[in-house]
Amino acid sequence: MLFGKECKTTVKFTFRGGTHLNEHKETATLPTVRLPEPRTVSIPLSQHIGAHATPTVAVGDKVLVGQVIGTVEQGLGCPVHASVSGTVKEIVTRHNAQGIPIQNIVIENDGERTLHPSVKPWGKPLAQTAPSEIIEIVRKAGISGLGGATFPTYAKLQSALGKVDTVIVNCAECEPYITANHRLLLERGETVITGLEIVMHALSVTEGIIAVEDNKPDAIALLQKAVGDNPNIRVCVVKTKYPQGDERQLIYAIKHREIPAGKLPADVGCVVINAETLSAISRAFYRGIPLVSRIVTVTGDCIKNPQNVRAPLGTPYSELIEFCGGLVKTPKKIVSGGPMMGQAQWDIHAPVTKGTSAILVFSEEYDRINTYHSACIHCGNCVTHCPMHLMPNYLAQYAQARRYDDAAKMNVMSCVECGTCTYNCPAGVQIVQYIRVAKGALRMKK
Amino acid sequence: MDQNQNPAVKAPELLTVSPSPHAHRQVTTASVMKDVLIALLPATVWGIYLFGIRAALVVVLCVVFSVLFELLTQLVLRRPVTISDCSAAVTGLLLGLNLSPTVPFYVPVVGSAFAIIVVKQLFGGIGKNIMNPALAARVFLMMAWTGEMTVFPAAYDRVALSVDAVASATPLVSLKQGVLPDASLSELFFGQIGGCIGEISVLMLLVGGIYLLVRKVITWHIPVAFLGTVALLTFLFPQGDLPRLTFMLTSLCSGGLVLGAFFMATDYVTSPVTPAGRIIFGVGCGALVVFLRYFSGYNEGVSFAILIMNALVWYLDMCTKPRVFGKKRREKKA
Repeated sequence: MLFGKECKTTVKFTFRGGTHLNEHKETATLPTVRLPEPRTVSIPLSQHIGAHATPTVAVGDKVLVGQVIGTVEQGLGCPVHASVSGTVKEIVTRHNAQGIPIQNIVIENDGERTLHPSVKPWGKPLAQTAPSEIIEIVRKAGISGLGGATFPTYAKLQSALGKVDTVIVNCAECEPYITANHRLLLERGETVITGLEIVMHALSVTEGIIAVEDNKPDAIALLQKAVGDNPNIRVCVVKTKYPQGDERQLIYAIKHREIPAGKLPADVGCVVINAETLSAISRAFYRGIPLVSRIVTVTGDCIKNPQNVRAPLGTPYSELIEFCGGLVKTPKKIVSGGPMMGQAQWDIHAPVTKGTSAILVFSEEYDRINTYHSACIHCGNCVTHCPMHLMPNYLAQYAQARRYDDAAKMNVMSCVECGTCTYNCPAGVQIVQYIRVAKGALRMKK
Repeated sequence: MDQNQNPAVKAPELLTVSPSPHAHRQVTTASVMKDVLIALLPATVWGIYLFGIRAALVVVLCVVFSVLFELLTQLVLRRPVTISDCSAAVTGLLLGLNLSPTVPFYVPVVGSAFAIIVVKQLFGGIGKNIMNPALAARVFLMMAWTGEMTVFPAAYDRVALSVDAVASATPLVSLKQGVLPDASLSELFFGQIGGCIGEISVLMLLVGGIYLLVRKVITWHIPVAFLGTVALLTFLFPQGDLPRLTFMLTSLCSGGLVLGAFFMATDYVTSPVTPAGRIIFGVGCGALVVFLRYFSGYNEGVSFAILIMNALVWYLDMCTKPRVFGKKRREKKA
């Protein structure tokens, strides 16, 4: 394949701005392990943007793996499935990481992993399946973006119908520490490719690009072999740089198309889907299994044996931490997702959700560097590194002075909140947080 | 939360919940300032070697009193004490390097007070000052103690603690009159001349400047634009009937130009943040230096040039805003 070779050799695809982070991808060499059955799971009925699901089971009901336990009748949202088989113990309201109360269905695991009869493969071959049928399969399987933003995938596909010419698989995994996608590509790379074929068929697109950062040469080699002579799919090696996995930067790096402010990837003819999401689509299509588990990178300086774990949704973090050998230091901060955009958790027993790509447990020593604060010294690091080419120093100063309209004039709404500015700030100013405050205030005004 | 709890894993009662990012580059204001101090070390050592113990004393006085005045002002104004970020020490060292080793000992003290109290703290402390404190203090001293500030010893004239030095003409005086200085070009470059403590050896300053570039403390834009503009203008318009190239190289190696280009003009607080802004800033500094050296009443122009450009930093930043990703350059503002 000519194009694939071109990608491999000379030009590395990238964007202007961003920063190279300390990768900490030590878990990339360890195989993914399946978590032994957790005792209980607590499945939140709202795990992403969109409507809250309503429970379809009652306390005391027996449920099986893949059974629908919550549905969304109207609006954006997809059904929630039982991730283990067992008995519904209680339906309680708990506060999630943001402090928002959310209904949780707590299931006591019987350890049998009995599949629900509704879990069966889609009978027809791919060529005879209509796009609308694929989108329905994706919706019914409860699949949402597993990269972290967790936008419901069926809605993404629906809005892209007829508008796109390229499907980009996001395997950049630009956040430090996380290796879940990397391991998936090594262990189940073929499911990513079959998932890509399903999406390409659904959107009638003939160009599929698998974008991998150049820090995963083993995965790149494997994928290139797996793609083989397929004329429609190619592997594209992108430069290892944060935030390469942001869809704006990824599309720009590969296709040189710039998403206009306030628009979506579909507006420039692209749709970007995370690798693990495609793997889930492939499982849903060929095996009928809805999204009931995901790969979680459990790492950080407090974890004894950092590794990737495939865990049922709803598993408490503490269960995963125990499986990885427990804590070797007193944790100070627990982060769901990567260190750049992940959310700090207040509860070590919080459940794994569709967006939990990693659980990072950091001690006080790790966190100390983050506690240095002084005034902005106008060094310009945030300006040179901003992937959106903003001037974060002035945006933060406007936000501090509550001059939100002035911040709006300097395009504060274009900020993607990747955190590159704060990361690079020698003065320790929480630039991105000031920007979030300004964005929130401007949204309230509208 | 009892249903979901796992007794095997115990977390402390309270975990830290803070906004992302949870990672940070291991570079702080203090580490940046320490890098600047390290970069100034060769020039400082050379100045002390050339001018003796009195030069060392002037530098030490500047550093000690700058830090002291920062501490006192912050205590009096009830601001957080930030002397540990080393920025006052950098200001003090730069001021010391900009003084002649023969100045009376009250001059470094008054200069430090002016730099730290008036120019830095009264404008709001680190990050808020409009002008470079060390340069503003130097200009203030030049005006208040013109005589004392312009007596320079000759090279290797290791000034005794109390003895008055014999003034020697600086290269800039000669250049202004359109004649070549007594010192040869190599003497200028390696620093075998009289002058301020830190500005004499171009070589030592370049070593420090390259260190800052390698450590990514500064970018190339300001020094290259600054020195390039001076080089171009002095090459095009030599004074008197001196050969162009000689005049250009002598101009580049004279006075505080290299010190200013690498260490003063690149001061974060008082320089633009955008690459384009930095280039315009450097070009402006260079053009003003040549203009002031040619036409003003003073022999040198670096201090005034940088201070004037300092005042324009905000406008340069606003004029050179990068085009935001996904936006057109001239989009009608809503």
